[in-house]
Amino acid sequence: MTGDRGGAGDAAVRVRDLRKGYVVHEKEPGFLGSLRSFVSRKSRVVEAVRGVSFDLAPGEVVGFLGPNGAGKTTTLKMLSGLLHPSGGEVRVAGFEPGRRENAFLRQITLVMGQKQQLIWDLPALDSFLVNQAIYEIPDAQFRATMAEFTEVLGLEGILKKQVRKLSLGERMKCELAAALLHRPKVLFLDEPTIGLDVNMQESVRAFVQDYNVRHNATVMLTSHYMADVTALARRILVIDRGEVVFDGDLARLAEQGGGGKTVRLQLRRPATPEELGRFGSEVRVDGLSAELTVPRALVSERAAALLAELDVADLTVEDPSIESVMASLFGARAGQAGQPERTPEPA
Amino acid sequence: MRRYLRLVRIFVGATLSAQLEYRANFLGAVLASLGEVGVALLGISILFGQPGVTQVGGWSFREALLVTGFFMLTEGVISVFIQPNMSKIAEAVRTGNMDFTLLKPIDAQFNVSTRNLNVLRFPDLLIGLGLIGYAASGLEVTPGGALAAAVLYGSAVVIVYCIYLGLSTTAFWFVKTQNVTELFSGVFGAARFPVAAFPVPVRFVLTFVLPVAFITTVPAQALTGALGGGLALASPLIAAALFLGTRWFWRYAVASYTSASS
Repeated sequence: MTGDRGGAGDAAVRVRDLRKGYVVHEKEPGFLGSLRSFVSRKSRVVEAVRGVSFDLAPGEVVGFLGPNGAGKTTTLKMLSGLLHPSGGEVRVAGFEPGRRENAFLRQITLVMGQKQQLIWDLPALDSFLVNQAIYEIPDAQFRATMAEFTEVLGLEGILKKQVRKLSLGERMKCELAAALLHRPKVLFLDEPTIGLDVNMQESVRAFVQDYNVRHNATVMLTSHYMADVTALARRILVIDRGEVVFDGDLARLAEQGGGGKTVRLQLRRPATPEELGRFGSEVRVDGLSAELTVPRALVSERAAALLAELDVADLTVEDPSIESVMASLFGARAGQAGQPERTPEPA
Repeated sequence: MRRYLRLVRIFVGATLSAQLEYRANFLGAVLASLGEVGVALLGISILFGQPGVTQVGGWSFREALLVTGFFMLTEGVISVFIQPNMSKIAEAVRTGNMDFTLLKPIDAQFNVSTRNLNVLRFPDLLIGLGLIGYAASGLEVTPGGALAAAVLYGSAVVIVYCIYLGLSTTAFWFVKTQNVTELFSGVFGAARFPVAAFPVPVRFVLTFVLPVAFITTVPAQALTGALGGGLALASPLIAAALFLGTRWFWRYAVASYTSASS
C-alpha cells in the first residue's frame, strides 16, 4: 500500500517518519517558582513523537495504545490536521492534514472523550442542525443518518433534552452522533468511552463497530479500557516515548509482551505454591483454585505433567490479559486480570 | 456566500434559543444598558453644564450628543455582536475546544466571529440610534451627509471588530486575554467625547495610534458635513488594512496553535 493519492489501493492513512517537538516552559513549584518563571521563562524542546510510521487500510480498525504522554494524542492531532508535524509525512484520505482543506475535513472526524462540542444550553438536536448546516448535509441524508444513529445508539427520547441535563453517557452518545453526522471515512477516537459505565461503554463500542462495518470507515482508537480495544480492533499499534514499539495483531502482542500463557487449575486436593512452582512462575493459590504462568513453548508439556502429577479436576490455558501484556511491555508491575485499576494507563 | 448567510441564520437561531433559557438575565442587562447611557450623558452634561459654555473644542451640545450617540451605538455593537464571540476565543483555546472549530469545513475566523450574539444588550443599539436621531434632528443633515456617515460608521465597526479580534487572537499564545480586551474597553471609553475635547497630543494618539477617532468622531462629523475629504478616505482604508492584517494574524495564530492536551 504505497500508491500515490487517487489510486484505488490507497491507504486511508499513511504516516512516514512523523515527528513533533514542543517547546515547553519549565517552572519550579511554589509561588517563588511561578514568579521566577513569570519574569524569565526557561524553555526546552520535548520530542513528543519521534519518527512514527504506519499505514492503515480503508475499513481497518486499529487500537492505539501506550502509556500517558507516549504521544498518542499528539499523533491523532497531527493526523486530523490540528497540529503541524515538525517532520515527516502524513496522508489521510489522500490529503495532507496540516493544510486543513475543507474537502479533507469533510472526510474525517476526531472524537475526544474529554471535550465536547455540543451547545450546552440547547437540546442535542440543535447542535446536530448546526453541524448539518456546516457540513452541508442534504436533508434526506441527514434524516437517514439520524434514523440510523437513533437506532444503534438508542438516542430516542434524549435528543430534545438540553445537553446540560443529560447524563455523561447520554451526552457522549450525542457527542459521537454529532461527530459522525457527516459520515466521515476516517475516524480518530481519543478515549471515546472515558468515564462511562460498562453498559454505556458497550453501546459506544457497538456503535463504532456498526459504523465501521456499514460505512467501511477506517478507525483509529485510543482507550483506557482494554475491552474497547479487544472488542473493536484486530490490529494494535503501541507507542512509547514517541516511537512505535509494536505493530501487529492482538495475539502477537500477547506473545511478544508476556511470552507466557496463563494456566488455571481447579484441584481436588490442595497443593502448596512450592509444589506448583516446579511447573511455572507467578503462582497464585486460593484454596482449590490455582493459577500460574507457563512459557508459551512449554505449555502442552507442562499441562501434561500437571495432569499426571496432581489431582486436577479442571485445567484451562489462556492468553494473558492485555493489561498484563501492556504492563510487562512497559516494565510496570504485572497487572492482573479482573483488576482494571491496575491498567497501565494505555491511552 | 449564500452558504455563509445560511450559516449565520442557523448560528443566530441557536444562540438566541440558548439565551431564552435564562430569562432572569434580561433585567440585569437592561439595567446595565441604562447605566451605560447614564454615564455617557453625565459626561457631556458636565462638559456643557457650566454656565456660559456652549461649545467644547468647536463642538456644540447637539454635535457632542451625536458623538455620544455613536458611542452608545458602538457599545451596543460590541456587546451584542463582537464581545460575546471574542471572549469565547480565549476560553476555547484554554479548554481545547478550539479543536472542534478548527476541524469544521468552514472558515474558522467566520466561525468564531459569528457563533454568538448577546441579544440582551440589544437595547443599547436602540438607545444609540435614538440618541443619534435626537441629536441629528436639531442639526442640519443632508442626504449625502447621512450616506457618508453610514459608510464611515460601517468602516468604524470593521475597525472595532479587527482590534478586538487582533487582541483576542493573542490568546493562542497567552491563553488568558481578558485583561487585554479590558484595556481596549478603557481606551475606547475616550470615544464618548469628540476627539477635539482632548489636548492635541492625546488627539493625535486617538486618531493615528489607536484609531478611536474613526469610530465615533468621524461618522458624527460626516453627518453634519464637517468632515474633510482626507479623513473620509482614511477611514475605509484603515478598516481594509486592519481587516487584512488581522486576518493574516489570525491565520498565523491558527498555524502555530498547539491545542490543549486532553
